Amino acid sequence: MSEPGSQGQPDDATVDLLVKQVVEGLSPAEQRALDAWGSVAGRFTRDFERAAAALSLAAPIDAQLPPGLRARLEQGAADYVASLSPPAERQPGATPTPRQPVATAPRGSGSAGWGWLAAAACLLLAVLGWVRSPHTESPAVLAVAPPSASPPTAPTPEPTPPTPAQELAELAAKADTVKVVLAATKDPAAAGVSGNVVWDPATQKGFVRFEGLTPNDPAVHQYQLWVFDAARDKRYPVDGGVFNVPANASEVIIPIHAALTIHKPAAFAVTVEKPGGVVVSARDHVVALGAAS
Amino acid sequence: MSPSVLQRIASGEAAAVRECIDEYGALVWSLARRLSRTPSDAEDATQEIFLDIWRSASRFDATQGSDKVFIAMIARRRLIDRLRKTTNEPPMDPVEALETVAWSDPGTASEVSIEAEQATRALNELRPEQRQVLELGLLHGLSQSEIAARLGMPLGTVKSFMRRGLIKLREFLNVDAESVSERV
Repeated sequence: MSEPGSQGQPDDATVDLLVKQVVEGLSPAEQRALDAWGSVAGRFTRDFERAAAALSLAAPIDAQLPPGLRARLEQGAADYVASLSPPAERQPGATPTPRQPVATAPRGSGSAGWGWLAAAACLLLAVLGWVRSPHTESPAVLAVAPPSASPPTAPTPEPTPPTPAQELAELAAKADTVKVVLAATKDPAAAGVSGNVVWDPATQKGFVRFEGLTPNDPAVHQYQLWVFDAARDKRYPVDGGVFNVPANASEVIIPIHAALTIHKPAAFAVTVEKPGGVVVSARDHVVALGAAS
Repeated sequence: MSPSVLQRIASGEAAAVRECIDEYGALVWSLARRLSRTPSDAEDATQEIFLDIWRSASRFDATQGSDKVFIAMIARRRLIDRLRKTTNEPPMDPVEALETVAWSDPGTASEVSIEAEQATRALNELRPEQRQVLELGLLHGLSQSEIAARLGMPLGTVKSFMRRGLIKLREFLNVDAESVSERV
């Protein structure tokens, strides 16, 4: 393909790529070729996407949401709103943060399938049962504020919500929850990382506990949790939310915010991503993995 | 003018997140059905699209287009991404879809949105075969190769029709946007 011209106008071959992008998507090589046009391609992409969207609107809207899907969307809306609650109610930097505007998913990056998981499977040989007391969390445990002494002006203190550590312990005590041990990968950033997951399929609620995860600067990168659902395409794990590890934290407990319903949790993974997370991970930095038994 | 649902989501209004489902659920679901391999895929895609919409609401700029176009852009982007990552099976019920889905009559398109009306006007300036190529690609999610095979048309011709059609539509939309800007 030719290089960008001095007039900033793409040639026919490049316009063909722009058209293909909005009609059926591009291969990684095609995407790289288009990216060479920089802002010119960006402007045309937006225009063509807008044109394609306008044409889509010219077709009749002929279907109503199925009731089951509507219920899941409404639950998703409630979860999303809950994730936006003021950070003052939680320990800073620890709770999964609302994601930034849609991250661009790298195209065609999903061919690895389970390979990246299998590569670290040997690390999972150390899978052991684990028991965690709700009273052993370190000061750095990510949780809502612990109960304080009864304030003198409040004759009837309101019940204190459970800490994430307590909620994790309660879930772990249930017989029908999925418990997974997480192990570090060979990624340099994973040195010394350990942890575990508790997931309740019935309530779609769960927590991840880590030790040894390097504190991150949210402006530079964030951690992102992924849930592999055996009922879905294994190349595309479900986004479990992005989170931060504050400085000096020896242990963190993260509530899982799965973007979709998890039918058969098969494995969990944590990657290092750009701020806000990504839709599809390039899997360049996988720091923890764990498979359900 | 009262703020749109997207603007209210961007400002942190919790009720607007759910209202977004009421207002745009049918639109997103219609697009997802047309551009997904299976009903299950369409349901997953719809959930992902709404999450994208809520997270992207702050990027909505009413001066750049309607909320419906913004949402259709997000939906199409997600759906095409999913299509690319799945096998080369055609989207679900292609035969039925091809028989039942087509662009609206120009007389009723304006009820949908201004952009849809503009799009329909642009379509009317295309030759029937050009219009058919765009229809198969944009409404039914067929790749250019699939369109060429279906219509017995050289791939280069399909690409040419697509290119001319989208360029014409882009010109229509930009001209209208500029004329609006000049009036403001």
